[in-house]
Amino acid sequence: MSPILFYIFAAMTLVFAVAVVANRNPVASALSLVVSFLGLAALFVGLDAYFIAVIQVLVYAGAVMVLFLFIIMLLNIQAEERRKINVPAYAAGGLVTVAFIAQLWFVLQKFELGKTAFAPLAEKHVDDVRNVGNTLFSTHNLPFQVIGVLILVATIGVVVLSKRELK
Amino acid sequence: MIPSLSLEITVLLLGILMLLVESFSRSDDKRGLAKMAIGILSALVGFSFFVDPASGNAFYAVDATAHFFKVLALLTTIVVLIMALEYSSVLAKYLPGVTPGAGLGEFYSLPVFTCAGLMFMASAVDFLLIFVSLELVTISFYILVAYMRRHTASLEAGVKYLILGALSTGFLVYGITWIFGLTGETNLAAIQHALATKAVATTPLLFGLMLLLTGLGFKVAAVPFQLWVPDVYQGAPTPITAFLSVGSKAAGFVVLLRVLQPFLGVPGVGVKVLAVLALMAALTMLYGNLAALPQDNFKRLLAYSSIGHAGYLLVAVASVSDTKATFGSAGVAVGFYLAGYLLMTLLSFLVLIVVARHSRGDDILHFNGLAKRSPFLAFALLTAMLSLAGVPFTAGFIGKFLVFAAAVQAGKFWLVAIGILTVAAGFYYYLRIVAAMYWHEPGDTTPITIAPLTRTAIGALTFAVFVFGIFPQPILRQLKDPAPLPATPVHTAAR
Repeated sequence: MSPILFYIFAAMTLVFAVAVVANRNPVASALSLVVSFLGLAALFVGLDAYFIAVIQVLVYAGAVMVLFLFIIMLLNIQAEERRKINVPAYAAGGLVTVAFIAQLWFVLQKFELGKTAFAPLAEKHVDDVRNVGNTLFSTHNLPFQVIGVLILVATIGVVVLSKRELK
Repeated sequence: MIPSLSLEITVLLLGILMLLVESFSRSDDKRGLAKMAIGILSALVGFSFFVDPASGNAFYAVDATAHFFKVLALLTTIVVLIMALEYSSVLAKYLPGVTPGAGLGEFYSLPVFTCAGLMFMASAVDFLLIFVSLELVTISFYILVAYMRRHTASLEAGVKYLILGALSTGFLVYGITWIFGLTGETNLAAIQHALATKAVATTPLLFGLMLLLTGLGFKVAAVPFQLWVPDVYQGAPTPITAFLSVGSKAAGFVVLLRVLQPFLGVPGVGVKVLAVLALMAALTMLYGNLAALPQDNFKRLLAYSSIGHAGYLLVAVASVSDTKATFGSAGVAVGFYLAGYLLMTLLSFLVLIVVARHSRGDDILHFNGLAKRSPFLAFALLTAMLSLAGVPFTAGFIGKFLVFAAAVQAGKFWLVAIGILTVAAGFYYYLRIVAAMYWHEPGDTTPITIAPLTRTAIGALTFAVFVFGIFPQPILRQLKDPAPLPATPVHTAAR
């Protein structure tokens, strides 16, 4: 991927990620999130990780976002009211952010490995779907199974916390 | 000899079985479910001593540390279920149920899943499994904290915990990413191997570790990542508060110990990480103990006290030797302190639940004259408070002694000095409860009735606080010689 494309997509991801938080209208926030995810997917393509890019679009930008929009419309959430700006909280949050970015900048300056360009992959097309599947079901099976339990627990939680009347 | 994973699998199956029974039984009385779980989990404590030591793999270690923390997780869950039984009448008031027992079945089964997560965490030696099991625990806590849907404080606590928990998870994952990027490994033994053989840049490694410490700092409630604790602890259902302050803390510390191990021997990294930990320990001790002084609500007081105790535990972690790759006396101190902390904290929460149900409130003034209403409960709470304060002949004293001994051994005298000052502050607010119980006149004089199971649990915990305060050898023997990480990675062939 040419550096220009990288910068365009990285900027797209970041700008729309900020828009998710800054927008007062939930529909606009959700749509900004879609665009941010698309930028992220493009970055994955640039890393030759096609499978993750496709999943990013299908699952996040597709399924999850449709669900988000449905819920926003079903609950008829209105645009958030303007709140009084809490100056100390904003100042503290801004300070932490600036400190974090400064730290990241300092680390990246000293990080020699990050400045070297890696050689392109030996094989032009990696069979990444097969590789991911193989890893998940062979060497990394234990964490994968635990994720199954995690999803079960999350499902129970959704039912318990959102059902109108518990039986 | 049984494979070690069968313990976690049994716990998970138990959780699923409870959900199934809950769905298909026609009875409104869900107490049988919790009692079944208590029975099976107690049996598992016994079975955990017959685990095949060779049944681990690249993600999952089977060693003395893992076994110790698994027993802690099981015992905590058992006591939490006993508390949940005692608390069910309060809980039912705040659930939108059409039948009397609605929603209680899930409230009994979710801690069982949390227990499985805690047990996985005790054994996890790979960042992937550490992360996944940590999330299993955290997500089930999000649900449990917000469980009382008609209680605004519980919902508020749930939202606060969710947002800050998600933020801390973000830091944790970002830290893991940096470390993976630098070493190319997620397995802790393989990371140690890579750090010893490859030249890894120190600055980015420290950055990754800092993010990791931030994430774990949220989980163990260390200053400056403690702001969520008082509100969440006060708003959550009381059994869950107990579970959070014991289970979540124990798991956070076992992960902290395991994660730090590969980095301690690296020149220019270990010393700095330990210095940061020492600073966090000092601030946590001061904040927790000083902020607890003016509290009038017992639950909130216990929340601040749990921050203070995280500080003492961090003193032990910060006293780890940075030259050797094993933990020695500091690791033993962390283990023993957590065991003692478990006993006395669960004991205080058990008494709190019983008293709060009868007095309809959990402020300190609701404990006035408890000695006249129920000498048994008053004595149990007296034991817990003395042990939390660190009076000799209780488990809390031995724990603090081991922690400060480890700090002296590491030459961190300033930490010991701050520690002793804060212990003195601790005496004041713990003994305020004792004064309320023994020297104040009770508001109402109705005697308190206690269910037999709760009475047994309170009796056993009180007894254990004294036994391990006088005769700590059984726990210490369990904790001796924690196995160091294998010198070479065991799993690289599979990659």
